[in-house]
Amino acid sequence: MIEVGSLIKLQRTKQNMTQGDLAKGIVSLSYLSKIENLKTEASPEIIQALCTRLGIQIDNSQNNMILEKCTEWYGMLFEANDKEEIIAKYKEIQELMDENLTENLLMFEIHKIRYYLVIGSYDKAEEKIKQLNDISGTFDNLHLYYWYKFKGNYNTVVNDEHNESMRLYKKAEEKGRQIDVSEEEIADLYYTIGVTHSKLRNTLEAIDYARKALEVFMKEYNFLRCAQCHIILGISYRRIKMYDNAIKNYNLALHLGKLNKNKVLILLAQENLGHLYTTTRESKKAITHFQAVLDDEEAHPADHLYTIASLVGLYYSVGNFEETRNTVNYGLKLLEEFGKYEEYKLYYYIIIAYDHLLKEEYKEFEKLMIHGFLPSLEKQEDYGNIAIYAELLASHFEKFHKYKDATKYYKVANFAYEQITNI
Amino acid sequence: MKKMISAVAIGALLVTGFLLAQPQEDVSIGPRHPGVLSVPQPTHFF
Repeated sequence: MIEVGSLIKLQRTKQNMTQGDLAKGIVSLSYLSKIENLKTEASPEIIQALCTRLGIQIDNSQNNMILEKCTEWYGMLFEANDKEEIIAKYKEIQELMDENLTENLLMFEIHKIRYYLVIGSYDKAEEKIKQLNDISGTFDNLHLYYWYKFKGNYNTVVNDEHNESMRLYKKAEEKGRQIDVSEEEIADLYYTIGVTHSKLRNTLEAIDYARKALEVFMKEYNFLRCAQCHIILGISYRRIKMYDNAIKNYNLALHLGKLNKNKVLILLAQENLGHLYTTTRESKKAITHFQAVLDDEEAHPADHLYTIASLVGLYYSVGNFEETRNTVNYGLKLLEEFGKYEEYKLYYYIIIAYDHLLKEEYKEFEKLMIHGFLPSLEKQEDYGNIAIYAELLASHFEKFHKYKDATKYYKVANFAYEQITNI
Repeated sequence: MKKMISAVAIGALLVTGFLLAQPQEDVSIGPRHPGVLSVPQPTHFF
């Protein structure tokens, strides 16, 4: 059933028109308010008059054609697609929406949250959430499913607030049980919940959801989505020390990434294999996988910086100072070229910290760690890295027989481990 | 002198105790998660 009142309100606010502007000479202000808030059903003549003033027409004959275009566009927001194509399709549909009062409008507006996230317009995504919040009380269960899911996406992508994202995804999951949506759509939600559990270190839940998503993507032969699930399974199995399973899943992701020539997935699998072998202290294997990332000249600088930051610690820990120096130099060069120090602060601190250690600038190293690096990690509640780098600082103090300082930072590291393992 | 030796000994003991107690969790800079949006196309920066 088309909720005309909500659509009129949406079109009016989009055109920055006040209720007074729209109601003038047609209905009273209070009556328009009732129409917009679905407290009354206006006659077709009144609706027609309001639509004429808004410059839109009610033409149900176009509904199916618009729905078809919308469905195609919604699908594009979930798969590997060229951003230019997504934007072109969006503009085409927006033109139709501007001229027609269609029941597809609400769903289209809700999907704009995801669209803005996909194209990286985070401010617009936030604006859209605020705008839709006013009329969210009139959403049906299908609208609510996507509303919660995309608001969750916003919190994940923009704010890194995984607890809040999880709360919203769970609400979407609940709505998903009450509506008729495709298996693949629910699988995408399961995958999303799996990633969020993994980021929150809820390992068993992450495995459960990734497996449920994988089952559907396998049936649909959607290999790229399968590869993403394998990465989550790899991360989870590594955390519970089922290394063979983890390696198997990472290699499956790597294989699928290569089959589909998807660089993002290939690099992701290589980086995680490098990380796994670092944790199992198999340095040679770790270096092989990290090197594969560095050898890829077309990789995103963020992939290279992650790899460099991983490699400097690895080389340093095995006493290969020459390679540590080469890798630090490459990292410094890349940081200078790429800029974005704020965004990649973690990598910047790691590279600079090892640069000080190599140059035996111990005072500068201590200052960087105590006043820069560790406070920055604490601010982000990044307990995984606090544990690693507080321990690095503690062992440095221990080496110089500064046991009081060493104990202080071992305690910081210990506290961080407790946060990770919830003991 | 005795005081110094015992301080060093306590320090060393605390440090060793920590090393034995700590779990073997992540020792590098963490795993890399795939995104929750669509699978992105490779982006060329250079």
